[in-house]
Amino acid sequence: MISAREYDKDRFDRSKRIEWLDMDAIGDCRCLVVGAGALGNEAVKCLVLSGFRDITIVDMDDIVLSNLNRCVFFRSSDVKNGLKADILAERASRLDPDVTIRSKRMRIQELERWDAFGIVIGCLDNISARLHVNAHSYYHKIPYVDGGTDGMTGKIQVVLPGGPCLQCSMNRTHYKALETRFSCTGKDAAFYVPKMAAEITTTSVIAAMQVREAMKIMSGREDMCVKNMSYYDGISGETFTLEVKKDERCENHEHEV
Amino acid sequence: MGIHVSVKNATLGATLKMDLAPNETVYDIIESAAEFWKKDPRAYVIRKGKSLLSASDTIMEANIMNDDVLEILPDPEGG
Repeated sequence: MISAREYDKDRFDRSKRIEWLDMDAIGDCRCLVVGAGALGNEAVKCLVLSGFRDITIVDMDDIVLSNLNRCVFFRSSDVKNGLKADILAERASRLDPDVTIRSKRMRIQELERWDAFGIVIGCLDNISARLHVNAHSYYHKIPYVDGGTDGMTGKIQVVLPGGPCLQCSMNRTHYKALETRFSCTGKDAAFYVPKMAAEITTTSVIAAMQVREAMKIMSGREDMCVKNMSYYDGISGETFTLEVKKDERCENHEHEV
Repeated sequence: MGIHVSVKNATLGATLKMDLAPNETVYDIIESAAEFWKKDPRAYVIRKGKSLLSASDTIMEANIMNDDVLEILPDPEGG
């Protein structure tokens, strides 16, 4: 026998009505979110509301005023008064106190333990960090869902163990862009990230697509995942999928049997 | 004999006709198109239908044929 409105006693009742979703596996997964900017805010929001219970956020940046038009968890009082990862973790925890959200104030290149994570969500703003996350995720056989935006366009790429990786889809234009971001200043190499067009509707779409792919992967439904890249054009409203060929010359695959 | 293709610019909506030799690479297409449209020095990819073309492949390896329509896209980098 059930009581009236029994169906409203479970936070995830509506999610559980999607039969293929494995809410237990999603809840048990340790999720790494790299980047706590616009995509990071939207992705963490969707992850928490989708049932992910254990989230680690890595970012080293402060909050600045221009973040506020697309970062749902940041406030004016946070500007120059808090680190993105800390504020995001603290505010997103309020969505569901049962969720554990850790913040790591560091560059992703400083993260030592990767094998603890079940999935990686890339919310980055530069090619250098993407290459790093891609290589480590691939080496540790952790599924990686990357997102990127540019004004009204965006894309996601799903990297599964054994499949084509992010680097397989890159070419010399990526490396040329990467080179222009590094300027030698005597002893140090300064990394310059250009200020790109960005707006929240594109960011929301892309982050939601990333989390949806994560839900499929954690539910054991890799067969339903985007193969391998989904490109979104917010002007026309079109989304199309692009298959990426595994590049045997890619350094992430050259030692594979 | 060259292979004649059309290269669409996803950003501008413009199309460029290009004559390719079989031993040229997909990257040569990206570079020529980016130079023609004086594109910013940033990351681009190119697709044929539902396939992202591997830039290191030659025109033959990429199975690019006469009258194919390719599209050059900026690779969104922001987060």
